[in-house]
Amino acid sequence: MFERIRQMLVKEFIQVFRDPRMRTVIFVIPCVQTLVIGYAVTLDVNHVRTAIYDLDQSVDSRELVARLVGSGYFDVVEHVDNDRRARELLDRGRVTAVVRLDHGFAEELRADRTAPLQVIVDGTDSNTAGIVLGYVSRITGAASQEILAERLRRQTGVRRDPGLVELRTRAWFNENLQSRWFFVPGVIAIVVSLATLLLTSMAVVREKEIGTMEQILVSPITPTEFILGKTVPFALIGFIDVIAVTLVGVFWFEVPIRGNLLLLFGATGLYLMTTLGIGLYISTISQTQQQAMMSTFFFFFPAMLLSGFAFPIENMPQVIQWLTYANPLAYFLVIIRGIFLKGVGADVLWPQISVLGVMGVAILTLVSRRFHKTLS
Amino acid sequence: MKLRRVRAVARKEFLHIIRDPRSLGMAIAIPMLMLVLFGFALTVDVDNVPLVVWDQSLSPASRELVSRFDGSPYFSLAGSVRNERELAEAIDRREALVGLVVPADFAQRIEAGRTVPVEFVVDGSDSNKATIAIGYGEAIAAMYSQEVAIEALRRVGGNRLRPPLDVRPRVWFNADMESRNYIIPGLIAVIMMVIAALLTSLTVAREWERGTMEQLISTPVQGPELILGKLIPYFAVAMLDVLLAVLMGEFVFHVPLRGNVALVFGLGAIFLAGALSMGMLISIVAKSQLLASQLAMVTTFLPAFLLSGFMIPVANMPPVIRAITYVVPASYFVALLHGIYLKGVGLEILAGEAILLVLYGTVMVLVANLKFKKKL
Amino acid sequence: MTGNSEKAVVVRDLEKRFGNFVAVNRISFAVDRGEIFGFLGPNGAGKSTTIRMLCGILAPTSGSGTVGGFDIRTQSEQIKASIGYMSQKFSLYQDLTVEENIDFYSGIYRIAAAEKAARKEWVLEMAGLEEHRRRPTAVLSGGWKQRLALGCAIVHRPPIVFLDEPTSGVDPISRRRFWDLIYQMAGEGVTAFVTTHYMDEAEYCDRLALVYRGELIAVGTPEELRTTLMTDEIVDVVCDRAEAAMGRIETLPAVQEVALFGRGLHVVTQDAGRTVPAIRELLAGEGFRIGRIERIVPSLEDVFVSLIEARDRAEQPQAEVQR
Repeated sequence: MFERIRQMLVKEFIQVFRDPRMRTVIFVIPCVQTLVIGYAVTLDVNHVRTAIYDLDQSVDSRELVARLVGSGYFDVVEHVDNDRRARELLDRGRVTAVVRLDHGFAEELRADRTAPLQVIVDGTDSNTAGIVLGYVSRITGAASQEILAERLRRQTGVRRDPGLVELRTRAWFNENLQSRWFFVPGVIAIVVSLATLLLTSMAVVREKEIGTMEQILVSPITPTEFILGKTVPFALIGFIDVIAVTLVGVFWFEVPIRGNLLLLFGATGLYLMTTLGIGLYISTISQTQQQAMMSTFFFFFPAMLLSGFAFPIENMPQVIQWLTYANPLAYFLVIIRGIFLKGVGADVLWPQISVLGVMGVAILTLVSRRFHKTLS
Repeated sequence: MKLRRVRAVARKEFLHIIRDPRSLGMAIAIPMLMLVLFGFALTVDVDNVPLVVWDQSLSPASRELVSRFDGSPYFSLAGSVRNERELAEAIDRREALVGLVVPADFAQRIEAGRTVPVEFVVDGSDSNKATIAIGYGEAIAAMYSQEVAIEALRRVGGNRLRPPLDVRPRVWFNADMESRNYIIPGLIAVIMMVIAALLTSLTVAREWERGTMEQLISTPVQGPELILGKLIPYFAVAMLDVLLAVLMGEFVFHVPLRGNVALVFGLGAIFLAGALSMGMLISIVAKSQLLASQLAMVTTFLPAFLLSGFMIPVANMPPVIRAITYVVPASYFVALLHGIYLKGVGLEILAGEAILLVLYGTVMVLVANLKFKKKL
Repeated sequence: MTGNSEKAVVVRDLEKRFGNFVAVNRISFAVDRGEIFGFLGPNGAGKSTTIRMLCGILAPTSGSGTVGGFDIRTQSEQIKASIGYMSQKFSLYQDLTVEENIDFYSGIYRIAAAEKAARKEWVLEMAGLEEHRRRPTAVLSGGWKQRLALGCAIVHRPPIVFLDEPTSGVDPISRRRFWDLIYQMAGEGVTAFVTTHYMDEAEYCDRLALVYRGELIAVGTPEELRTTLMTDEIVDVVCDRAEAAMGRIETLPAVQEVALFGRGLHVVTQDAGRTVPAIRELLAGEGFRIGRIERIVPSLEDVFVSLIEARDRAEQPQAEVQR
């Protein structure tokens, strides 16, 4: 029996890697993807391209602008002096924000009145817009506070500051709030999922399409051996991918792995059981490789989006949240992030691990039952 | 180029599509699924962030501060804790995303006009959420401080004082900051890129695998005729998808379309010509469906998703990655769609991107034709 | 068709290498117009490779050739317009109906609208598929598929057709029917270039070329090959306990080879005149019951086997030397 399985494994490997380009696509590309994505997925908002529309041109207005620039968040791209140009810059997307200070700004301030400043933000990307407005209000808030303290001093003649609540932030697990630390572990999961799902789903259908399936049906191979022959190679490939991408994450991006590596690989194994099972299932319901590819995508796409990879599950409507309970990728992501960033172990992650285990076994059992029907 | 042969190929390809209703069905269902998910289920808007409070002061002043947090739409009070351990547990178990720690001498220090450090502990794993939550927290703290200062001034000076700086934010293009209005238009580009790849990436490889291509290359049919003939039916299906997406955007999600809808379809057609040709190119170069599917996924799915600016603004990415996005065709189309939908601008502003789109289409068609050889 | 009006196909020193492997090793031959030319040989001999080069879908490594007067290296597109090719793998679209397949190739060959319907009927009739025109090709059995594939390949009435193992895997009756079609075509002046590994089909051809390991071993009419190419003679022996008899006969001098043939033996010898009585004496002397011992005209199979083995024998010492 082991001999037959070994034969199937070898045959599968040969078939998959007959074209040397496959090697590149399966092993090298995930690493490249991790690199690119690791750099690209930053929701950090920095270097906000800004235009300054200062009609007052006073010491006060310039000082406020200096504060904005000094924060490091804003890059002044241009100084404008008319509406049309400001509008044009926003229309063309050359700036994300325009800070406008009208005539009389300094006057209002010195008269102890309220001086308005207008911030026009490109709301196309509401996320960025919100963050930019947050920066502005933080900076102007600090400025306001100082001016108030100054006024209080002038009025009372005493050096008496008003109480100030200063929020001191401590970010846990991702001290520098690097979005990369959040995304890279997720990318590992995504990249591995896609590759193994697609390979497995196409593998059996390929034989159906080319016509070698009949030969297999008349050979003495048992359904179990067949399934093993079709899953083990891809499980191996999956593991190699996980290791490769993890190495990139840890050594290139310096994402910490605070938890147990063995646990990580164990959980990966359980997760791979589910992806391979699903891939095989897709394989059995498709007649052509075209159908297999589309079905894989039809499944994977929502699975990726509803996994918490980029969009927090907590924000989703209740009904959709219930759906995510059936998504193995969601559990795997919790585990992977837990191990990487939080350094927690099986004591905290046991619910997710058990669910993955149960899912994996259930899916593979279902699939092998289908195979038993077709092969016997 | 003989029209008769192109027609024969187009007709055959059309028959293939019809005879595979499952793939055709999925080609329509996948875009709709993507739209529904993004429209209804997925949002990066951050509100109701679960918060735990460790109020060591328990004074009217501290309770006032806490009620500011609780009363804000951005936070929701998940409970109070009595010590560091409980705080840590709450965050580990993801019962709370942030923790507010008010020191015991809060009221006294405020009264004495001194600075009070209030600790804000944040789960940094999801850095995006964390950053935004911190922004909100700081805003609340700053507002509280300002009111304290104004109160102090009032007691001393008796004047009705207003805050010195009044930030007036104006959000252009997406005034209600609905992330949906930003995501849905960009999504159309991503959908098109993915569908194009799914539809065409296997078509030529399939014929090589089955042996029908060998027959075809022994006939007088020319490479360009084959490619054009194959593109036509898939172009029709893809344009249908664009129509569905635009209609759903209008009638289901009420995304405002301020610009010219004809421009959406016109540019969409150009983009599709390029995307479909790229899928065809993959098919031609790969020669096996297995390799073609992997290549298609890798070159279209993830880049379109993460590098096109549809979700993550390109402006925030490091320069190297921004350079790479120039090679991602979806990014041009996304920029164009954002402009047309949200800014209501036309070609006069977006000419640059439009030209790049035309260039992309042309290059893809040319390369696909170059790479196709009528030889084994 | 332009150029040489005599020969349909001319090949000179045609060679194809795949890396270090020589699939076709400098072969030369010519095919007359209206001939049924057979290309015979075991699997892997280079038949398909040759036919692909002639059709212009595979570039030769060296050598030259013309098909219909057009150069196979530089004028492959003109060749494709005037030939029909039936590839070894099935070239029909399984998810299309019989009719749709025919219509497709009509379109590809740009058959004039006036002729299109007539040609379609002709193909359907030739293949016997009039009743089945709307059935998906996938459900047809092997024989039907073959005829349909042939029909699609010649829907445009090409003057030259290349058929690569057209009858492999098909039942004998369908094979006969198929060859009837080829005769019909040849009768109308079409040149047919057919590759096969079935020896009995070799008899149907006007002329034959035998290929082995990429080399042309023999060319000629079946008659020529049977009589002139073989210097050895064949003696047919029918007796009991054929295997035992085989062992005994091998020991005779002037006997080159003995092989089982049906229930009897074929003995290869250089001088049948002496060998026949020698065998009779031997077998009678050892108590074998003799049915028949006589010299026969060698079949093509005998010829080919003998030529191939001669080639093998010639190669052996070379192989040894190279080591």
